[in-house]
Amino acid sequence: MTDHTTIPDAPKGISALKIAVILLIIAALALFPFVITNRFYISLVNEMLIYGLLAMSLDVLLGYTGLLSFMHNAYLGISAYVVGLVLIHISPTSLWMACLAGVFFATLVALPVGWVQVRTGGLAFALLTLAFGMMFHTIVWKWYGLTGGDDGLMGMPNPSITLFGWEIGNSGDPTVMYLFTLSIVVICFILTRRIIHSPFGAVLEAIRENEERAAFVGINVRRFKLFGWLLACMLAGVAGALFILYKGYIGPTTMSAFAGAGVLMMVLLGGMGTLWGPLVGAAIFIYIQDYISTMTEHWEIYLGVVVILLVLFMPTGFVGLGAYFKRLRKG
Amino acid sequence: MGGALSTSVDIALNSLVLGGVFLIVATGLNIIYGLSRVMNLAHGSLYALGAYAGYTLVATGLNYFVAILIAPIAVAGVGLLLERSIIAPMRKRSMIYTLIITYGLMFLLDGLIKQIWGNEPRFIELPALIRGTVPILGTHYPIFRLVTLFIIAAAMTGLMLLLSKTKIGLILRAASTIPEMVSCLGINMNYVHIGAFVLGCVLAGIAGTIAGPLTTIDPLMGHEMLISSFVVIVIGGLGSLRGAVIAALLIGVVQTLAEFFVTDLAMVIVYMLMAVILAFMPRGLLGEGRFE
Repeated sequence: MTDHTTIPDAPKGISALKIAVILLIIAALALFPFVITNRFYISLVNEMLIYGLLAMSLDVLLGYTGLLSFMHNAYLGISAYVVGLVLIHISPTSLWMACLAGVFFATLVALPVGWVQVRTGGLAFALLTLAFGMMFHTIVWKWYGLTGGDDGLMGMPNPSITLFGWEIGNSGDPTVMYLFTLSIVVICFILTRRIIHSPFGAVLEAIRENEERAAFVGINVRRFKLFGWLLACMLAGVAGALFILYKGYIGPTTMSAFAGAGVLMMVLLGGMGTLWGPLVGAAIFIYIQDYISTMTEHWEIYLGVVVILLVLFMPTGFVGLGAYFKRLRKG
Repeated sequence: MGGALSTSVDIALNSLVLGGVFLIVATGLNIIYGLSRVMNLAHGSLYALGAYAGYTLVATGLNYFVAILIAPIAVAGVGLLLERSIIAPMRKRSMIYTLIITYGLMFLLDGLIKQIWGNEPRFIELPALIRGTVPILGTHYPIFRLVTLFIIAAAMTGLMLLLSKTKIGLILRAASTIPEMVSCLGINMNYVHIGAFVLGCVLAGIAGTIAGPLTTIDPLMGHEMLISSFVVIVIGGLGSLRGAVIAALLIGVVQTLAEFFVTDLAMVIVYMLMAVILAFMPRGLLGEGRFE
């Protein structure tokens, strides 16, 4: 990928203890639907995992490349719509083909958008993500014939999930879908962590820390920013494919600016630049959202207040809070 | 009615009005950015607040023209409060935090607006004096739109005079170029930041009140305006006031034409235009190379 071998490759050595903890968490998550058979909780955790993947993909951009995307959910939405359309209109059984088409199309759309965005600089990049996100939102909202407009995409078939000819189960079954989501999210997490800790990831972090200096040592800043953006959008596309398979439905509200702010908040809650932080943040966010939205219709006000308080008083999120206490204990 | 001439006069005047509203909002955003390096994402909500303030003032029986003077002051008051409590503590932090916190502020303000005024659209009652139409080149054009155009011109002239002829303007212009030097000359930069933010809020308030009768007032009006003013300042070049004038007129024309011909997807055409311009001129039309 790069010949800048002088840039220190920083694979943070994982201790055996950490691996054990991670395996334990994954095992607990995998056993979860067999212990708690309430379908409501299975769906809730499934949603946490999908949004966790989306928040993690935003963290690649925000925490590692230092670029802000206000409407990362737009790429989740694009992929979800494509997966849905392929399953409805082309082939109701080819799950893998539909998912690949969704992820591919989300990345394909992200390419020209990203190309324009990286040319303009950090601040304009952020403003443009909002403008383009709004554009995609408007398109799916108004293109009634294709997307179903306000009503959303309906009539999704439930294809069965097969792997090398071996049928695992039907995607309409919550437990099967949950395990499918879990395995994809775990794979994506491991791959992303690998990529981020490769020299490529180090280049992204160099750009985040000091763009000018990175350019001076011979890094093509625009190209690497574009790669970071494409990686983030591709992961968001994977989350989108999982999203529509799990929900069986997608509407334009999933792609709204409001939903985009939610994703940003997940990353903030968990702590940026950690990859696993946003997964935790998404779990907390989805839980609170589920809890509060049943009590009040003024969710918007709460979201605004919490974002402001987080940035003012806890900019490192919950992960940072842990590090803070650790420092405190050491004195 | 009918006739290509009257339609084109209609479109031309409508573009001017729309472009003018964009210009006022975008200029406010630009001034705050130019002086404080704060991109205020809550600016659209402050604009909506101006519209609702104007609505409430007119609904309580106040004259529309008096409301245009009072509503911006109310918005400026809110702005002052926000600057001191939320924006100022962000000054030493990375730009990303400012963007995120003002984004949160946007949702807070939108939520509060919905809470206070409800979701249903509102209309500002115009005084009888400017309710009719006036014949121009074969079309009957609403008088209040011409009045709006006049107010926009007056507001922009006032701003230009403030910036070019007064001592405050001198300080502001100097601070946008070399803030350290201004600080060295014994001018408290805190006041400059406050002044810039309040000035931006006044402009948002004016735009909101004059946009009230042009469109319906609803809680989402701020979102659309925020995006449109982004498009204007990104195309014009961040921090460039002259660029914003050109871009605002351009977007005004394109959006009016697009709404006339393709209606629903009008905004998509505007975004496409923006993408094309930025692909060839990444710093905008008159960008001053001051991208962060």
